[in-house]
Amino acid sequence: MIWQGEKIIELTEVSIGYKERASSFNVVKSGISVYALKGELVAVIGGNGVGKSTLLKTLAGFQQPVSGAVMVRGEKVNAYREKELALIMSFVSTEIIRVPNLSVFNLVSLGRFPHTNWFGKLQDSDRQIVEEAIESVGLQGYENRMINCISDGERQKAMIARTLAQDTDVIVLDEPTAFLDMSNKYEIVHILHKLAHEKGKTIVFSTHDLTTAISESDRVWLMLKESVEQGAPEDLILSGYFTKLFQSDHLFFDQEKGDFRIRKTMKRKAAIHGMGFAVDWTIRALERNGYEVVHPANGSSDIVFVTIDVDYPEWTLTCLERTAKFNSLLSLCRFLNEL
Amino acid sequence: MIVSDKSVNMTINSTRGYKVLIILSLTVPLFFLLDLLVGSYSISVREILKTIFNPENADSQIVMIINQFRIPKAVTAILAGSALSVAGLQMQTVFRNPLAGPYILGISSGASLGVALLVLGTGGLLGGVFVSVAGSWGIVSAAWLGSGLVLMVIFIISARIKDIMTILILGILISSAISSVVNILQYFSNESMLKSFVVWTMGSLGSVTNIQLSVLFPSVMIGILIALLSSKFLDAFLLGENYARSMGMNIMFARMMVFLSTCILAGSITAFCGPIGFIGIAVPHIARMLLQTAKHSLLIPATILIGALMMLVSDIFSQLPGSNITLPVNSVTALLGIPIVIWIIIRNKKSGLI
Repeated sequence: MIWQGEKIIELTEVSIGYKERASSFNVVKSGISVYALKGELVAVIGGNGVGKSTLLKTLAGFQQPVSGAVMVRGEKVNAYREKELALIMSFVSTEIIRVPNLSVFNLVSLGRFPHTNWFGKLQDSDRQIVEEAIESVGLQGYENRMINCISDGERQKAMIARTLAQDTDVIVLDEPTAFLDMSNKYEIVHILHKLAHEKGKTIVFSTHDLTTAISESDRVWLMLKESVEQGAPEDLILSGYFTKLFQSDHLFFDQEKGDFRIRKTMKRKAAIHGMGFAVDWTIRALERNGYEVVHPANGSSDIVFVTIDVDYPEWTLTCLERTAKFNSLLSLCRFLNEL
Repeated sequence: MIVSDKSVNMTINSTRGYKVLIILSLTVPLFFLLDLLVGSYSISVREILKTIFNPENADSQIVMIINQFRIPKAVTAILAGSALSVAGLQMQTVFRNPLAGPYILGISSGASLGVALLVLGTGGLLGGVFVSVAGSWGIVSAAWLGSGLVLMVIFIISARIKDIMTILILGILISSAISSVVNILQYFSNESMLKSFVVWTMGSLGSVTNIQLSVLFPSVMIGILIALLSSKFLDAFLLGENYARSMGMNIMFARMMVFLSTCILAGSITAFCGPIGFIGIAVPHIARMLLQTAKHSLLIPATILIGALMMLVSDIFSQLPGSNITLPVNSVTALLGIPIVIWIIIRNKKSGLI
């Protein structure tokens, strides 16, 4: 059974790109057919230069698609007037806003722009919406802080609160988690997830961080070199599309862990005896140093045996009848490199 | 409880703003009177008050000096200070550049090109341009056209080039190019035309007559009115044009409003007072610093008052109290404004804004 909700955003055979001269276009990507349903968090994933930013700018109506139709709530995005579109869709760009003397409250209240009168005067209802927006990103108590004097993570939350104050069904964010540390990355993506699920907003964001995107987003628009695929992140992993994201000899997609890893040329073989999660990390250390980890039963004469001793942390290395003991993986690896 | 605490917090910034505005609006009349006091002929406070409130019993010569010279000059100072500062504030916001101003972006030199073309181009015919009302309107329109042209070029460039520093450098280049054109015009003009133009370039607040004021005053009022009407747009411009558009602003319309206001303000002042620098850059920063806000509905009134105050102070300094010497007011504003601009650059360098 295929269940279909309302398609809030729908791109049909869209080509994106920039106008070079009067009649010629520099097409970045073509044949994009993706959509997003109401209340979905959509991650746009792709390598550098594949056109993520261009796609988001086209979706936000900042530039025209070269061909095809970008529909938002059933109408072409470029057919809306600025003010109409601002009531449907809000936007956060990659640019870091550094305006002196602009408080968090005033920044967020700028989101009321399409709702207020000519002079931008805030009514009590507007103030309440602004306060709620600040609260839902966890910035209460920051209202009077200047946006120049808060951290990147807090500023990004303030920018998201601004889109909430704008009160739109669709929010488009271009790399909202760039420049942020791991905990802020998780927090921001988690906030977006919550907004999508609790407030029914359709949120599209681009990111390079696969781990957070895979764990929190409902749908992924995967921008590959030859095509653009969409689906739940897990579906795309199972169908093998993620492996095509970076087609390089140096990287491979670890389908179990859901992230890319660096491919090593394995020069030698090693076998590991031991228990516990120390085994996993010992395997990683050996692989980094060019050892393929094999089952002890497949051992041949030139294999290196590593035993994780019971008096952890201690490793015993057996190689060509020589034995050595190490108290850290660092010293073990250094020894292996000199073999 | 928490909610009420927050609403108290929220008003702190705006009450601070209103307090500063009240203090400023009380200070400006004080300096206005002070400006009436200084000049080559010494007049006491009592005589000034008598002239203003009871002209029948005052010394007719003093009434003449005050009404014909000192009041027009002080009013011009207020108009010039506010107009240039509001123009500077708008440019800094739209270009998102702390060093933008009517002078640096070449808008003032555009105005002088307009005036040069009018004065030097029409030759002796308009020898009387500086006296009549019609002539005053002619000069002011020429200045508006000139500054509008430069601003248009800069806007076209800024639509293609996003890097704001490049735009600033281009503005400086454009203003140098215009100065060269003005030089060429001067080179090919005859002595009498040249003289009337050079007199204009050295123009000061004092050379503005009551007749010219009747043109300057409404022009500045219209310019400031347009600026006040665009305060919501200016707030949105703070985040850049993409954000402004995503919040529903019609960029072309908003640009045109700011564009029009800046040309009218900077153009009219340049037309009558000659190029006056640095007020337009420095004052908006003082306003932001004093009010601690980025809201233009508060910043515009503040820049009007601070600009007026700065210009009155510059005028008082230019009289060199106690002597008969009058310094060109352009030099005084530069000497007052440049230290402030240097301070802005150093402060912004520290916080990584430039």
